[in-house]
Amino acid sequence: MDSLITAAARALAAGDPLGALKRVALRDDAPALALRGIAMAQLGDLARAKVLLRKAGRAFGPKESVARARCVVAEAEIALVSRDLGFPARALDAARSTLDAHGDRLNAAHARHLEVRRLLLIGRVDEAERALAALDPTPFPAASRAAHELVVAGIALRRLRTGPALAALERAADAARRAGIPALVAEVDSAFEVLDAPSARLIASGEERPLRLAEVENLLASEALVVDACRHAVRDAATIVPLATRPVLFALARALGEAWPADVPRDTLLARAFGATHADDSHRARLRVEIGRLRTKLRPLASVDATRRGFALTPRRNRTVVVLARPTDDAHASVLALLADAEAWSSSALALALGTSQRTVQRALDSLATSSRVQSFGRGRSRRWMTKPVPGFTTTLLLPASLPID
Amino acid sequence: MHRSPADIVREYGPFPGAEGVHGVTCDGQHVWFAAGDKLIAIDPETGTPVRAIEVAADAGTAFDGQHLFQLAENHIHKIDLQSGEVLATIPSPGGGGDSGLAWAEGTLWVGQYRDRKIHQVDPETGAILRTIDSNRFVTGVTWLDGELWHGTWEGDESELRRVDARSGQVLETLEMPAGVGVSGLESDGRDQFFCGGGRTGKIRTVRRRRQDQPLQLLRPEVDSPET
Repeated sequence: MDSLITAAARALAAGDPLGALKRVALRDDAPALALRGIAMAQLGDLARAKVLLRKAGRAFGPKESVARARCVVAEAEIALVSRDLGFPARALDAARSTLDAHGDRLNAAHARHLEVRRLLLIGRVDEAERALAALDPTPFPAASRAAHELVVAGIALRRLRTGPALAALERAADAARRAGIPALVAEVDSAFEVLDAPSARLIASGEERPLRLAEVENLLASEALVVDACRHAVRDAATIVPLATRPVLFALARALGEAWPADVPRDTLLARAFGATHADDSHRARLRVEIGRLRTKLRPLASVDATRRGFALTPRRNRTVVVLARPTDDAHASVLALLADAEAWSSSALALALGTSQRTVQRALDSLATSSRVQSFGRGRSRRWMTKPVPGFTTTLLLPASLPID
Repeated sequence: MHRSPADIVREYGPFPGAEGVHGVTCDGQHVWFAAGDKLIAIDPETGTPVRAIEVAADAGTAFDGQHLFQLAENHIHKIDLQSGEVLATIPSPGGGGDSGLAWAEGTLWVGQYRDRKIHQVDPETGAILRTIDSNRFVTGVTWLDGELWHGTWEGDESELRRVDARSGQVLETLEMPAGVGVSGLESDGRDQFFCGGGRTGKIRTVRRRRQDQPLQLLRPEVDSPET
């Protein structure tokens, strides 16, 4: 490696991207382009960084496969940070194999982390967990270790295991401090806040109170029968009856759950389920049909009994019934509730699930995207939608510890 | 042109506190290497670091019998061996693209990495006296017995090459094993080379086989260098 590149890399490693840029600003050879790209990324100009890294990847010679692979990894990290989740996973995987084959374990591990973070972001939690299991974080330098533990925490949070999430975050905090990167320390701190912030509302016996994530976890493990309006399901610790694709049934279940142990008048149920302001005979007939369907679905957990003025929920084995709701109910709650299962949905699947037109769903998605509550990746027919990323997720650029040069 | 595999007889390092080996030279007693933010001297007998000079050391290193010369950014510093002081500074011929550095007969020889050139430079002024072309990336540069050698390193492939100092024609190559790179080069003045291993932080000794000597690759272990 040449003299100025080494000096610039040294500046970059010392957290001085401007010092690095100063040394290679006027050079257009491959290692200089790569360094400029990484420096720009660290300075926050991701668009420029992407262009530079792509140019660098092309400028490296045919024999410099490791350098090119590192550029791909850096580009993938930029794509991930800018939430461009359509980034070709195959290119990243090929780069990781190249780095592995050439003994660049640190950058190979970095590539694997990016893959796991991407899988987690698009809701493929099982795959993320499997890919992460292939990594032993023990030999990582502190910054990579912190990133690793943040991913572990992210997966635990998705699975609502707050104990392991907390433990991983504590390890992340320790590693971030050792790395001495302020942005990383701040990242971990904000991930801790997620554990303390109210993440849901408990509605029980006509009263409401906010719940932290650990309380949600305890609730779901308890004896209570939970009407879960975050995931559109009715569940206890052992059984989950998903109703995400049955919005009418869920609306009925929620109304019954909120009123428990009281019953709910027919008119109220009609209004909640069909938005009917005044009921006629056909509405009543339809309500009977839907209640029958709900009764079948809920049979393992509760019975739905007719009362003089309407219906009531009676859980098996005398449990209490509570409703778990999102922290706030809002206009597009039904769309958000479907997306809350952490899967990537197409708009047509959402329309199908909600029993509404694709155009209506699209309008809801556009409005939610404008307020940054949902995001999409992919284009055209393969476009998928999901809620904003799981908390506890690093957005700090931790571009390869050893740079895409020698 | 004669090609043969490089006969690696010893490996030193990596050394604590050194980010890599960017340049190598020998003051007759110790092997010095450029470790980014300092020059480190090791005892070639034991491989232990014995001294360090805090100075920017980004690429090639050379020794003229009294002073160390060190590439730093786009300059060459002349450093007092005893005090470690920078006595003089000249611009480097490659403007920062420089890689290897060697001293011979009153002039400096500087490798220009990706431009695949070797410059002969006036050590007082930095003026370029002569330029020869290589067809590979030039890393380390050294002289051994009146012969000019340079290291190359492109991806997985690395070699030591003896070239004609006038024409640049390649006369002999020693091929390093795949994946083993040469970032800095120095001869011990007799029959072996010290090769820097870049960010692996290693220094390797490569024995130079004379034409009239039998191939020594099959020798089991070499304990001490021949004199």
